[in-house]
Amino acid sequence: MVGSPVFLIAIPLLAAFLIPLLGMVWKELVRIVPGLVLAYLTFLSATLYIDVINSDTIVETIAGWRAPWGIDLVFSPLTGFLSTIMTFMGFIVWLYSYRFKRNVEFEAAKKYFIFLMLLVAASVGIVITGDIFNQFVFIEITGISAYALTAFYTGRNSAEAAFKYLVMGSLSASALLIAIIIVYAQLGTLNMAEIAANIDNMNVEYRIIAMIFFIIGIGVEAEIFPLNGWAPDAYTEAPGPVGGAFAGIVVKAGIYAMVRMMFTLFNISGPMQILIIIGMITLIIAETSALRQDKLKRMLAYSSIGQMGLVLVAFGMGTQAGVFAALFLMLNHAIIKPMLFLSGSYLEFNTKNKYIKEITGMGKKMPVVSAIFVLGALAISGLPPFSGFWSKLSVLTAAADENMILIITLVLIISLVEIVYYFRVINRLFFFDYDLEISVEPHKPGWNGMVALFVLAGIILFIGFYPSSVTGFLDLAARDLMDTHDYINNVLQLGQSIIQ
Amino acid sequence: MDTTELIRIGVYGTSILLILIGLYAVLTKRSLIKIIIGLSIIDGGIHLLLIGIGYIKDGTAPIFSPGSENAVARMVDPVPQALVLTAIVIGFGVTAVALSLVIRLYRHHNTLKIDEIKNLKW
Amino acid sequence: MKKAIVILMLAVFGYFLAITFLDPQFEAERNRDGVKKFYLDKTVSELKTANTVTAIVVNFRGFDTLGEVTVLFLAATALGSILFKKRHHIGDRTVLLPASAIVGSGAKLIFPAITLLGVYVFVHGHLTPGGGFQGGTIIATGFLLMLIAYRDFSISHNILSVIESLAGIGFVTFGLLGFMNGGTFLQNFLGTGVLNDLLSGGVIPIIYILVGFKVAAELTGLIYTVLHEKG
Repeated sequence: MVGSPVFLIAIPLLAAFLIPLLGMVWKELVRIVPGLVLAYLTFLSATLYIDVINSDTIVETIAGWRAPWGIDLVFSPLTGFLSTIMTFMGFIVWLYSYRFKRNVEFEAAKKYFIFLMLLVAASVGIVITGDIFNQFVFIEITGISAYALTAFYTGRNSAEAAFKYLVMGSLSASALLIAIIIVYAQLGTLNMAEIAANIDNMNVEYRIIAMIFFIIGIGVEAEIFPLNGWAPDAYTEAPGPVGGAFAGIVVKAGIYAMVRMMFTLFNISGPMQILIIIGMITLIIAETSALRQDKLKRMLAYSSIGQMGLVLVAFGMGTQAGVFAALFLMLNHAIIKPMLFLSGSYLEFNTKNKYIKEITGMGKKMPVVSAIFVLGALAISGLPPFSGFWSKLSVLTAAADENMILIITLVLIISLVEIVYYFRVINRLFFFDYDLEISVEPHKPGWNGMVALFVLAGIILFIGFYPSSVTGFLDLAARDLMDTHDYINNVLQLGQSIIQ
Repeated sequence: MDTTELIRIGVYGTSILLILIGLYAVLTKRSLIKIIIGLSIIDGGIHLLLIGIGYIKDGTAPIFSPGSENAVARMVDPVPQALVLTAIVIGFGVTAVALSLVIRLYRHHNTLKIDEIKNLKW
Repeated sequence: MKKAIVILMLAVFGYFLAITFLDPQFEAERNRDGVKKFYLDKTVSELKTANTVTAIVVNFRGFDTLGEVTVLFLAATALGSILFKKRHHIGDRTVLLPASAIVGSGAKLIFPAITLLGVYVFVHGHLTPGGGFQGGTIIATGFLLMLIAYRDFSISHNILSVIESLAGIGFVTFGLLGFMNGGTFLQNFLGTGVLNDLLSGGVIPIIYILVGFKVAAELTGLIYTVLHEKG
């Protein structure tokens, strides 16, 4: 017994309060402690996940009041899977930024690591909590750390990006609160399982309105159209590793909140047109915008939004195969996109305006980093034999099972578009000569960043060659999401509602 | 229509009106400070809505004092009150961060007009 | 033109809100009991806390409050990070004009009373309306008054930061102690005493007092950071 799910939240919070004190003792501690905490979280999450797979879902009550009276944390095959990926990616991002922040002043570095740690902890909180208001609180914690991280560099235009993000985030939080008010007024409870058990008692009209408000409320974190206007700016202006953390951690939490709401809270079974439509619009607009970008990180950001659209389309099919494909996409995206962001920010480290043309010929100056970038680009556009291929294939088979021709065509076209814009970058990297007039001096990567990149690249290659190593986990997670009845049983422990 | 109904419609109506006024300010005003004021008005409206949910006729505060132990039936719902406390604190935190961002924008651009800050046009 | 679109949007939005909340059906179909009755019962019978709202904030939904305290901590940290400058200009404030003698002596006179009221509010958080957040805010207004009245009134940032950290650590530690003694995080593990006594409610008053210290330190820190900002 290494701990219980509540430690995933309590320990990082304890550490966040401790760091200002530790910083007074020895300055290096503010860099080391967050890493130790994130490593512990990864270990704890992985151990609990293995436990959960082998036995049963863990439902942890807080303050001694079981659901629906107290707040509960649900650690199931699905939430365990996501929280393990998130904590692991959090650790990788920490590893990458360990030395990167050495050239920043102490006070700033201290705050950077506090924000990063709380960003990861709160995202995990969004995933494992079983209470809608508690989820709202965690969404806000994620939000505030994200605003602060976006505005981290004082020299750039980061304050504008952060302000834009803040206004959208705050408006959508208001919508989420209205949805919570409607649900609480009608059902008299805030517990997800209790709501799911009683949702049929709620008037259909109110149910639809509450659902719309929920979608608006979660949409900003999940980057759906038209609530993703903040994303390209925030990804560009934030420090390099933070872009990776947004793509690998925060968005995953947002998507989870969205599908948990649709599948469990409102207990919809069968295809969900609304998710498919939102997903398709997001996908098409984001991918066509990505094609037009001339800045590397903006392109990556739009590509990330597009991928999330595809994930929502896959979830929207509402079948076991569709959910499986969506989770596979999320896993791949959570690993590949941060890798692209991290290697990309090494490539454009010294460029002035972050234009793609400024990294011309870097392939010869920084061969290893460029190779890793190329690996990520090939994997995310779905070329065999890399991991992205298998997830796109599973989306296609899931769509084919349901005879959704439109989705199949769309996925194929989008893959082509992705290949086009990623090859534009690869072309510049390798097939143009290094030219001092347009490009810049390469930046020498630190050992910690290289270790982080190699670990990610290794995972991508491993999943690419042995996709069967993860499909078992994904299958369990997909089954967990589909089975609302089981979720209610696990949380309420009686199989029926307690509140009349 | 009895007085309970009137009070209820009054509270809900006011809060909806506040939300709409705040939203109008956020969407049309061109000054950063006014946008933040708009966000705060929306927050205020939602908090009123949340408290309104707990209202019952002739209710009392959910606090037990000696001699009033059997007033449970008349006590209003304590949950929205606890939630609104959390919501207010969170709203405060977000407003503080927003204002600090505005201070920094003002430091850079020497203006609060949204049109003169290039990235904020959308 | 743009205004017309916005007003149209708002009309649609307002319509949806109105058909939800102003509909008499919304009241008629409500589940009024829900979790409310359980909370009202258990607050008296098990937690021995007179103020049900405090019992919910600190115990039943204490996890939310931990998150809430974190939001404040983050806001204070974010403010410092966003307004951070390479060259330190902390020193004289330019935002304020010197206050008159009346304001100065008045502030001196009221400041102890405000602090006392704040302490009273958070110490009695489990008995009367109010609590850590309210009490902490009251204390911070006292410091705001002093900062307005005296241009050279200064508070050590380090002391505030230590108070803030210790209070936060205390909160999580009490949660973890509950985990060790009772099996769940934030569980009450102390004797609950007699309803309406000052020493009742187990860990609830202790945690709320910690919250009070934390909120007071954080809000004072926020005011201080912003006041020392040169425009």
